[in-house]
Amino acid sequence: MSEELKSVTRNVMERIHHEKITMRPRIYFIFGSVLTFIGLTASILTSVFLFSLLRFSLRSHGPMGAYRWEQLVSNFPWWALFVALFGLILGIWLLRRYEFSYKMNFRVIALGFILAIIATGFVLDMTGLSDVLSRQGPMKGIMRPSSSDDMFRPGSSFGGFYNK
Amino acid sequence: MEQNTENLSDEEVVQKVRSFDQELYAVIVDRYQGKLLRYALSLIKDEQQSLDVVQESFIKAFVNLQGFDTKKKFSSWIYRIVHNEAMNIIKKYHKETPLLDGIDFPSDENIEDDFTKQEITDAVKKCLREIPLLYSEPLELRYVEEKSYEEISDILHIPLGTVAIRISRAKKVMKRVCQKN
Repeated sequence: MSEELKSVTRNVMERIHHEKITMRPRIYFIFGSVLTFIGLTASILTSVFLFSLLRFSLRSHGPMGAYRWEQLVSNFPWWALFVALFGLILGIWLLRRYEFSYKMNFRVIALGFILAIIATGFVLDMTGLSDVLSRQGPMKGIMRPSSSDDMFRPGSSFGGFYNK
Repeated sequence: MEQNTENLSDEEVVQKVRSFDQELYAVIVDRYQGKLLRYALSLIKDEQQSLDVVQESFIKAFVNLQGFDTKKKFSSWIYRIVHNEAMNIIKKYHKETPLLDGIDFPSDENIEDDFTKQEITDAVKKCLREIPLLYSEPLELRYVEEKSYEEISDILHIPLGTVAIRISRAKKVMKRVCQKN
């Protein structure tokens, strides 16, 4: 065994030479870090957006909650949910791949990530940003009520009736 | 080669390897091969697989050397790579690794210079082989590899408090095992 032990250095250096093993360039790791950052940021943003939307929709339903829930499910941009999940999985995969030998507790990261999403979602919702988003920008189409909903709106014929 | 680099820290040698002289990587391999083989053997308990794991770890470390942060300790980094490789082997073979008889690797460090200490070390190594990996690994790192709690935390990717708890429990488990023997 001691002979084999002595040969470790020789074997390693021979493999590096003969198999032409090279170091990955620094840019490889920089690119990995950037991808990780983009992946995680995108998934956080998407998840916050979805959480905020969901909570906003449920809160604004009132007694018609069940009906609105069905409506939300049918109109929900599920592709965005998959993008968020994909971003999260990709981000953690990249972190593991590029930082494979540094200490990272991925259970803590995932838990912190989920808590951060929920907390940010609540903050966005409480500050009224959800309402702003629902009236303008990309949320406008998603949050626009269907024509059958209009009748329940104050000022409409039905809503006006109930307001009297 | 070693004479020119013997006063350099691991991190400084790595910096030179990355910058201009890849041949200096042999210095790193020389410095760590004995320790890492002993560590890998404590995990896998198979000589040939331990050798393969250590060689693969050195190659993997070389390939990813540009990703190493020289502000951190190289030893923790390379031990972590060996740990990962060893865990892959253990998972792959799904086996309880066999016990070893009288196998040891020479070390460059002269840490056991008195007979009593040697005797204790031998007894510890024997008991270490008989306790679960969860406990034996931190004990091995602490008392055989002489790593600090912080280094163990870096190598095993567990918080410092968990290191302390595992070592404390491991001592109790080991006491029971050693007393049986």
